[in-house]
This record gives sequence, C-alpha cells and structure tokens, in this order.
Amino acid sequence: MNDELFLNEQVRVVAVFGDGLNPCRPLRFRRLNGREFDITEIGLRHPTMQGKRMLHIFDVTDSCTDYRLEFDAQQLTWRLTREADHVDK
Amino acid sequence: MLINDRYNTEPSLIMHVDLNSAFASIEQQSRPMLRGKPIAIINRRTEHTAIVTASYEAKSAGVKVGMKFREAAKLIPGLIGIESDPPKYRYVYRKLMAILSSYSPNVVMKSIDEGIIDFHGVPLQKTLIEIGYEIKKRLREEVGCAMRCNVGIGPSRFLAKTAAGLNKPDGLDVVDATNLRKVYKTMKLTDITGIASHMQHRLNAVSIFTPIQFLDTDMVSLQKVVFKSVNGIYWYQRLRGYEVDDRTTDVKTVGRQYVLENRDLTHSQIQARLHNLCESVGYRMRSQNKVARGVHIYIRTVDRKYWHTCTMSQIPFYSDKTINTIAQQLFLSAPGNVQEIGVRCYELSNNDNPQVSLFNDEVVREQQLVGAIDDINQRFGDRTVHSANTLNTGRFIKTKIPFGSTRYL
Repeated sequence: MNDELFLNEQVRVVAVFGDGLNPCRPLRFRRLNGREFDITEIGLRHPTMQGKRMLHIFDVTDSCTDYRLEFDAQQLTWRLTREADHVDK
Repeated sequence: MLINDRYNTEPSLIMHVDLNSAFASIEQQSRPMLRGKPIAIINRRTEHTAIVTASYEAKSAGVKVGMKFREAAKLIPGLIGIESDPPKYRYVYRKLMAILSSYSPNVVMKSIDEGIIDFHGVPLQKTLIEIGYEIKKRLREEVGCAMRCNVGIGPSRFLAKTAAGLNKPDGLDVVDATNLRKVYKTMKLTDITGIASHMQHRLNAVSIFTPIQFLDTDMVSLQKVVFKSVNGIYWYQRLRGYEVDDRTTDVKTVGRQYVLENRDLTHSQIQARLHNLCESVGYRMRSQNKVARGVHIYIRTVDRKYWHTCTMSQIPFYSDKTINTIAQQLFLSAPGNVQEIGVRCYELSNNDNPQVSLFNDEVVREQQLVGAIDDINQRFGDRTVHSANTLNTGRFIKTKIPFGSTRYL
C-alpha cells in the first residue's frame, strides 16, 4: 500500500542560503545513528503553518530513497519526518 | 461548413490551464523516486478506498479515478498508494495562481488544478500560443520539472476548456470558429464538458448521438424539446463559441461527509463524528460569512441504502453548537448499520450584521464566543479549540481537498 515510514527525528543538516526561486537548499544531513546522506535533488519545498509557526517542508532524495525534512523557521531546527522505501540504483 | 457564419468569430482571448493528473504529478515532483512509476492518490490508507488521482503510468494500465484501490492493484500489482497531502497541493495551487495572475488581472481558478485567464483588455506583447508555452516553462521552473499542464485557447471558456482536454498530457491547442466542427467530429458526447451519462441519455432520446448532431440541432429544438428550459439556448450558444459561462456562482450549501473508519462504532462514537462534521461545516460557513436556516443529514448504510432528513429553522443560525444540536436531533431517527454520514447546511444568506435583540444576551454571548473560537483556531491551527465530545475524532476525519471549488483553499 504505502511505502513511507513516519519519523520525528532531529537531524543535523548542511544547507546553503542564497537567492533565486529556492533560496534555501539543504545539501546533506546526518541522522542520529551517524549515517550521512547527500541530497541529490529537492523535489518540492513548500511552506506550511502550524498555527503561527512556519515550517518549510523539503521533500528530497539521495537518489535511492525519498526523505522529508522539516525546517522550523522559529526554532531553527531540522527534523526528518518521512523516509520512503529504498530503491536500488 | 454549413453554419459557420453563426459561430463566434471573435479572437481567442480565453486561456484554460489544466494541470495533468495534478495530485499524482505533484507527488512525483516532490518524491523523485516515484517518477515513472504507477501511483494512485488516495484519501485513506486502506485498500477499500477510492482513487482520487492516478499517474499517467497507472492510467495507461487502465486505472481510473474513482476505482477502488484494491481493484486497481489487481491491474497493476506494483501500484503505490499515496495518501493525499493537502498542504502540498495548496502550495502548488497558489504557485499556479501566481503564474496565471502575472499575465492578466482577470484570472479565475475553477478548481485546485485549473484556472482561466481572460485576456480581454490586456495589452499583449506575445501571442497567446507563446504565452501558453511560457506558462508551461514557468511551471517546470517554478514548481518542478515533473509538472505538466494542458493549455487550451478559445474565444469562450467552454471552447478553451475543450481545447485543454484534447491532447493530454502536456498539450496546447486552440479551438475557435475555424476548427470547432473538426474538433467536435473527434469527440464523443460525454467528452463535452457538462455532458455526463444522464445528459447523454437525454440527448440520445431525441436522436442526438454525436457532438456534431448536437451542434447542428436548432436552438428552438434544444430549448423546447431537449432541455425544456433556457439551458437549451445556453447550449446552442456555448457549442458555437459564444460566452455564456462567465458568471460567478454563489454558495448555496455547505456540507461535509465521512465514511466511517470501521463498522463496529457505537452510536455515541458515530454521534461524535457527526459533531466533528458539524464543527467543520460551521467553520466553513462562517468563513464565507454566511448564516443558514436549514440542516440536512444523510446516512448511507452498509447495505447501500440511503436515508436522509432535514429541517428548517425560522431564525438563521451559524454556530457549531446550533448546527450540531439540530443534526443530533435529526440523527435520532436514523437507521442502524451506518457506513457513511453527511451533514449539510442550506438556505444560506449573508451574515450582514444581523440585528440582535436588545434583550437577548445569550445570542450576543454566542456570537462573541464563536468569533473568539474561530480567531483562536485561525491563529493557532485548525481544531485547537473544539468540543470535548469530538476529542480524538480529528485523527480520523481529516480535512481533504475539495473538488470543484476553491472557496476553502
């Protein structure tokens, strides 16, 4: 049925802030278990409100698995909230 | 060409933009590993649910919108079901609206995935065909490379919509007086926007079996024999490319329905879900600045029987509490074995500063309370404050994307 795992894991993220249509681009993230993932593509970034709090949701991939990273614009924290099934290259 | 002189020969200044398999494309855009795979968007994580949208890969294997996921999975064993993600779709809707609005001040979004640009009175530096290709390019650049849309251009909304439906996906077509007859020849009656099976039977009954026969039927026959109303005249003009659809419709009813998550719910659990629906309906109604006088509820039972009842009040109301009180009263006479419940408010009118009795403090207090709750929910998120009775029902009854209307987006 569905191929996603729902998580709520704080992660460390390397991101660049620039200009253009996508001013914030996460490049790499590290999970609590120490594993690091290089982001090869940002599928879609969309903002959403949690009450008055703005979350920027990044649907990203490392070319094997799709992930969802959420950036809390108030707390300035990143969380990994979704992980899809792994696909072999 | 028999009656070409009667077709609308005005320049084509209406553009219809329609996202292809919108929700599925957005999912494939946001999740690159899904691209090229058959996916189906569903509203609930169960195989008994109906498919809201399917990707083109799934559609090519025969998966259709409305089909049960379980049946579709038999057609394509690898079909991936993705639960709909309304915030994501709203974001793309707003992006699409921003793109369309940059070309003309006269933009109307017909639904979450389609919009109309009216270029009348707009100074044009490019042709509409060039603008159409530019919109496609901007959609790919500003939303993502997996996004595709169909663009239709015509002298009226109807012909532009017809053009947008011709070469899916990613097409761009113009339908006007010069080629509308040729286009109708390639279509079936049910391909025409607004003609579904019921209307098809009605047309078949008067020996109209093709769009060309429909086009060639005279206005008097359409008005007096086929439609028996002014709709006959509208169809006569619409098919010839004259604008008859440039009108806004007022909201007449506000409602919500819910298919119960399982069949073992107790009566009070169903009442709690009905209460949740009433709160949702009340909030939507107030967001449109409306008050209602009628409440209608319906039940669909496990054995597919339909039961409904309604009541009218003399005094307009708009609070969740009143809607729920009336709905629960009606629900007392409902049959058992409930599978689906629905509630709807009707006889709506504008809430234009209704005069409140000087001696009716309770009404004033209710107005202030409802206003305060709505403010809190708007500020801190949906259902931050709600009735204790509906506690825990929010995880079952989720807000989904309404089709055909952009009022609540």
